[in-house]
Amino acid sequence: MNEINRKWYSGMAHTEDWWAVWLGLGMFGVGLLSIWGYDLVGWQLKTATWIEPGKWAVPSSKAYASLGWFGSFVTTYVVWTVLTSIGAYFMRLDVKKYIIGWTVLYVLAWTCWIIGNYAYIAAPVNQFKKFGITWGLSLGGDTGFIIALLVGLVIGNFFKPFAAFIKEACKPEWFIKTAIVYLGIKLGTMSVDSVTAKGFAIELALAGAAATFVAYLLFWPLIYALGRKVFRLPREWAAVFCSGISICGVSASIATAGAIRAKPIIPALVSTLVVVYAMIELVVLPGFFTAVAPDQPIVNGAAMGMTVKTDGADAAAGAILDEMMVANAASRGIMWQKDWILTAALMTKIWIDIFIGVWAFLLALLWVYKVERQPGQTTVPVSEVWFRFPKFVLGYLFCWFSVMAIASIWPEVIKDLKVGASSVQSPMRSMFFAMTFVSLGVLSDFSKLKGLGRMALLYGVSLVFIIAPIAYLVAWIFHNGMMPPLVGS
Amino acid sequence: MKSDIDMVIVHDGEQWIARNDDLQAAGRTLPELDADLARTLRRAGGYQGRTLTVFMGFDFATLPAWIRQYAPHYFNRLVRVEV
Repeated sequence: MNEINRKWYSGMAHTEDWWAVWLGLGMFGVGLLSIWGYDLVGWQLKTATWIEPGKWAVPSSKAYASLGWFGSFVTTYVVWTVLTSIGAYFMRLDVKKYIIGWTVLYVLAWTCWIIGNYAYIAAPVNQFKKFGITWGLSLGGDTGFIIALLVGLVIGNFFKPFAAFIKEACKPEWFIKTAIVYLGIKLGTMSVDSVTAKGFAIELALAGAAATFVAYLLFWPLIYALGRKVFRLPREWAAVFCSGISICGVSASIATAGAIRAKPIIPALVSTLVVVYAMIELVVLPGFFTAVAPDQPIVNGAAMGMTVKTDGADAAAGAILDEMMVANAASRGIMWQKDWILTAALMTKIWIDIFIGVWAFLLALLWVYKVERQPGQTTVPVSEVWFRFPKFVLGYLFCWFSVMAIASIWPEVIKDLKVGASSVQSPMRSMFFAMTFVSLGVLSDFSKLKGLGRMALLYGVSLVFIIAPIAYLVAWIFHNGMMPPLVGS
Repeated sequence: MKSDIDMVIVHDGEQWIARNDDLQAAGRTLPELDADLARTLRRAGGYQGRTLTVFMGFDFATLPAWIRQYAPHYFNRLVRVEV
């Protein structure tokens, strides 16, 4: 069946992007029923730091405590399997294969996440006594995400037939976009917690937009020139490659290739590079930033958003950075609120995603009217901007502003609103993060770099000598001095 | 995006192909495709002397499945063809 975007509503039923919005807003809406006393989302399983087996997870709401961890585990599985399978059906995936793959990913993700929450791994020093331990790594509970990523990488690189068997369900972009919509709820609730947090969220959004715009203008021409002059890439290859590494990875490669009407093989090969390099960045950068600049949390987060390509890898890197930096600061007696560093990483990425459509449209005009001039013969429909617009951003912004609007208009319902919102914005979001980590690992086959020598070298050189330093400099210029609100502030 | 003719465009690895139930044109480059489309329309008859606006929507389902989750759109183009 053909997939053509013809009308403004094309793709609403069968793209991952829109399904992230439907899953996000659907569960947000159900969560809001807590305002009227109906908690219909508290069955969601959430992890807890544990030392005694069986206490590793609980239902997210006390109203569902009778389910116990296993009942909650099964309920969570059933609900999400049904919901995501409906999405898979409309996205024309093989639903049977999807359910099998989803089940494997679900079990792997929760197992890794629970292991990561083992007290000897996760518990902070001030909680050793509570768990009856005398030592521990104090890495924080999100270490489970790293374990999930490593397990995924092992499967993707050493058990390739098994990776192929489950890959129908490996949809890191879908999972992370759904999680980002839930992050909108988180940002909304953080914003209503205090005037400081609200102001900080807005400041973060504005600084992120400015930084992203400046970084764009520097990355693209520099890498295009390097690709054309030094690496002698053909014009089409240089443009697609350049957008892939400079802007937002795979989606920018596809948008640019489409804009300049490049052969589809070009974005496919560039995307392979992007995905593999994003994995390397995801593993290396959080630890590097934490070690080198432990007192620049928001700068680090914003730089991460501009350096690590693809939404999934950036969100994953942001989550690890958040966990590492908050734990590092806590060890020095500074208690930053969680998730602001992650928000900084995602804010720049979301702006980048928004700009892709506009940038691709400008490139399309340039290509049609200047590079491959065909006067009066072809035109670029303005609707191209809408078709390339990341729709999950609409869900993210809707959740963020809805929570703030409800809290402003009816402040008396904030407490009840948070009952449902807390189950959605934290445990559900984190579960989709965990699913993203495993899927990313499974899809990252490093052997695909073979045969891409010159392009791989250009990618590495651009990343180390252009993208990473400029991203950090720009992030520092626009975010220097910004600090996450302190716990209790 | 009003058009006189709607077509689906794909790339088979060697050339661009635009088609609908009645017409098919191909070319190694897009200008070659457009020239072939003009010839095809002349051969088809019924369009002589007219300037037609042809919509070509890229069939996204022809991209590799694993990268489709990253972006939902490749490109659409509107081409004016003098028959």
